[in-house]
Order: sequence, then C-alpha cells, then structure tokens
Amino acid sequence: MNCDIVYLLPLFTVTIGAILLMLLSAFESIRIEVASALSVGIFAVAFIVQLVPIGLNDVLPFVSLFNGMLAVNDFTRIASMIIIACGLFTAMSAISYFRQNNFGSLEFFSLMTFAVSGMMLLTMAQELITVFIALETASLSIYALVGYNRRNILSSEAVLKYLILGAFAGGFFTMGIALVYGALGDTGFAAIAATISRDGLLQNPALAGGLLFILFALFFKVTVFPFHSWVVDVYDGAPIPVTGFMATALKTAIIAVLANVLLLAADIRESWLDMLFYLTVFTLFAGNLIAIGQNSLKRMLAASGIVHTGYLLIALIAVSGDQFSGSVILYYLAAYAASTLGIFASLSYLSGTDEKRKEFNDFRGLAKVRPYSAAAITIFLLSMAGIPPTAGFMGKLYIIVTAYQSGQVVLAVLGIISSILSMWYYLRLIIAMYFHEADDLFETSGSRSAPVCAFILAICVLALSLYPVAI
Amino acid sequence: MIHDYLSLSILLFCLGILGVISRRNVFTVFMSVELMLNAANLAFIALARLHENMDGHVLALLVMAVAAAEAALALAVVILLHKHTGKVDTNVFSLLKG
Repeated sequence: MNCDIVYLLPLFTVTIGAILLMLLSAFESIRIEVASALSVGIFAVAFIVQLVPIGLNDVLPFVSLFNGMLAVNDFTRIASMIIIACGLFTAMSAISYFRQNNFGSLEFFSLMTFAVSGMMLLTMAQELITVFIALETASLSIYALVGYNRRNILSSEAVLKYLILGAFAGGFFTMGIALVYGALGDTGFAAIAATISRDGLLQNPALAGGLLFILFALFFKVTVFPFHSWVVDVYDGAPIPVTGFMATALKTAIIAVLANVLLLAADIRESWLDMLFYLTVFTLFAGNLIAIGQNSLKRMLAASGIVHTGYLLIALIAVSGDQFSGSVILYYLAAYAASTLGIFASLSYLSGTDEKRKEFNDFRGLAKVRPYSAAAITIFLLSMAGIPPTAGFMGKLYIIVTAYQSGQVVLAVLGIISSILSMWYYLRLIIAMYFHEADDLFETSGSRSAPVCAFILAICVLALSLYPVAI
Repeated sequence: MIHDYLSLSILLFCLGILGVISRRNVFTVFMSVELMLNAANLAFIALARLHENMDGHVLALLVMAVAAAEAALALAVVILLHKHTGKVDTNVFSLLKG
C-alpha cells in the first residue's frame, strides 16, 4: 500500500485551513468577509480533492489506514463531501446573516472549519477512541457556535442545555467504550465484529451493554425519540446559520458512524431489531406531533429534523450486512442537507435584524414582495415534504422501497403515513407565503451571498432528483 | 481485585448520573459529569491491568484531555450565565420551552 496520508488530503486541507483561520483571527484588521471567502475557498479545495478518488481503485472498495484506525471507501468519501458542502454553504450564508446581526467575528469561521474536520474524521473512524475524539472535536466546536451570540439570553440558554446534556451523553459514551474495552481488550471495530460473529452479541453482556451505551449516546446526537427533547430548544436558540449547519452536517456524520456500528455484524441488528423498530416509529410520530404544534419556523424545522432522523433509521434497519445500501442513506442525507441548508440560507437573509421574523405569520405575503425567494423556499419545503419532482421525494421513495424489499413492510407503510402527516406543517408556510397579503417589506442586508447560496441549493434539489441510485 | 476497582467505578458513575439529574447548581452538574468521565477512566486503567496492554492508559489520557477542553467551555458558559441572570442555577432558564 502506498502512503496513508494521501487518502487523508481532504481532511488535512480542512484542518490546516481551520488552524490558519484561527491564527488569522488574531489580526483585527481582517474583516469577516475575507474570513468567509477564505473558508469557502478551503471547503471548495477540500471538496475537489475529495471528489478525485486518489489512489482508490476499483479492486479495493475499503482501504484501512493507520493500522485499521481509519477506513476510506466510497461511503466515507461521499459522506465527507456532503459535510464539506454543508460547511461551504453555511460559510456563504453566514455572511448575509452577520450583516444584520452584528456579532460576527473571524473565530466563527475557524470553529466551523474545526467542526467540519471533526465530522470528516468521524465518518472515517473505525475504532472507538478515534470516534470519541472526533465526536468531541465536532461537538465542542458546535457548543461554542450555538452560544456565539453572547448578548442574547436565548442563545446562552441553548448552549447551557446542549452542553449539559451533551456532556452527559459523552459520559455514557466513555463508559460504553470502557465496557467494550473490558470485554475485548481492544477497541477496534474489526475486533468487535470478529468477536460478535464468533460468539454472538448477547452471549457477551459487557460487550452488548457497552455497545448499547454507545448507541444511546449517538442516538442522543441525532435526536432519536427518547433523546430528542433538547433539539427544539437548542435549534431555536442557536443563530440561524449554525442551526442549519448542526441539522445537516452533524446529522450526516453521526448517521455515518451509526451505519458503521450497526453494520459491524448482522447479530447487532438482529438482536436489537425490536428496540430499533419501536424507536424508529416513535421518532417518526413524536417528531411530527411536535412539529405540528409549533408556531416558530426554526422550531418547526428542528422538529421536522427528528422526523427525517426517523426515515434514516428506517434505512439503517432495512440495510443488511452483506448488501449494504449505503447509497440510499447517502442520497437521503444529500437531499435533506440540500433542502434544509437552502431553507436556512433563505432565513439567514430574510429573518432581518436580530432574527425578528421567526413565526409562520411573519412570512405572510412573501411571494408578493420577493417572488424568487418564496419560490426557492417552496422548492425546499416540497423537497422536505417529499413531493415530486424534488430530491426529497426520491430519497423517501428509495428508503421506502428498500424497507419494503427487506421485509419491513410495516415500517414502509408508517413512513408513508408520516410523510402525509408532515405535509401539514410544510404546506402551512407555503400557504402563508402565497395566499396572504404582504404587510411587511422584507428588507434585507443587501449582501448577495445567501441569496446566491439559496439559488444554487434550489438547483441542487431539482438536479439531485434526476440522479439515479442503485438500490 | 479487579472487581473492587470496577465496583468503585460503577459506583462513581452512578453518583455522577445522580448528581446531573438531581442538582440545580451548574458547577455541581458539571462536576458530576466529570465524575462520570473519571469513573470511566478508573475502569480503563483497571482493565488495562487486566488485559495487560496499554490501550486503556492511552484512552484514559485522551479522555482527560477531552474532559479538560469540555471543562474550559463549561466554565465559559457559567460566566455567560452569571452575566445574564446573576445566578448559577440551571432552573432560572426557562425562556425556551420544548
């Protein structure tokens, strides 16, 4: 094998960029527009480097690096590309947001780049220590980003809640690693998989308990049902670009880890199939019920994120070890990321000074005043609701077909019902935008970057729906 | 012998959980989280001795580093909280209702 470092070039690009941005923050003369452009450039370079499959040939779908600590394959490559793209669009829309909300500084972009590097490492990790370090790198950066608006008491409350609960989950994760280590004397995924396929999962209680702790900590991060209560408050309190970033990039990274953990051995999925089934069903319907009751747009989007996690869980349950349908999961993640980032980019420039427009009613008549913005938001909402011809529809279709093919008919039917329920709150905003008179001028900052970002993402949502995926 | 260490570790972990759930003071809550992490550290060291390899020692060091970073952030949040409300209790914050 040739040099391991070649495979990690995108990760190095992002990490070095993050350190560079942190060093540049020491200079007061540099404006945040420059930092934003710089971070967009870093993400663009990393994206292009990641796009080129350096050293990956068709014979080796799975390259393990650094003594099996990391692995690079098409799944991790595309997951990393989604994460980098999330960073890129967030950096672009943040600049419009900071024109109207005057608390931006250079460290914002540095922290975001650090978070992206942690998440990229997370998708590649094949060993529990690496997962822990990468998870904490991403989480610590995001805690700081959530509380970035220090003058806003809501932001401070959000970071307090997130930090306490996140650290609590981190404690469980660490104890999970301790139990797995106690059972095996090793923390590599390969050793765990070998032991489970030899002895079975439930014959080894310390290993099973440890993996359960680790799963619960990851479920907390992606807001699966009993661990979802923090998400609405934290997303509501965080600045709009950060909310969009958390909802997309972090979810992509954690779902990639969950896929890696759940697919270690067929026995993991089979032993806990009932538990995963009920968690999925409750996640879908709890998310829908919370979203229906919200009046604030950000809170609705947070709750709808819970529902999308439910769909991803359906895909995770439906995949089986020998025929890994990672492409379905990645397609759904890409579609979800494009529509969610798009809507948060639109909100970044439409919400006004100090995020004054936040309720459904504040966007009444948007189509009369700003028809293009309203059209873009409509495309994103239709994609999230799963109406053709958008990427979100195709993503849901692939997931439901996969679930049906693997015999999970009940989950497929519940997925369709939940999709119909979700129309309620997505169409509510479309109705508010199109069927009411405008009583607001929707003045914006004048910065073009977030509108451009929304335009590109709207095209992405439509273009992705034409991209075929082999199920 | 290993049982004693693991029992102590589990006891500390449960104490940590209890502290996070029942206490209102932010400092006590964060100290309880640290207790949970250190319980895991104790388990790592004891199990490294049991398995006679060094993985557990490395893990304990890394967990300590992460715990320190988390503590730095937590203290910043406590200062933020004190600036806004003049108190360091978690229950004074109820503006966001999920």
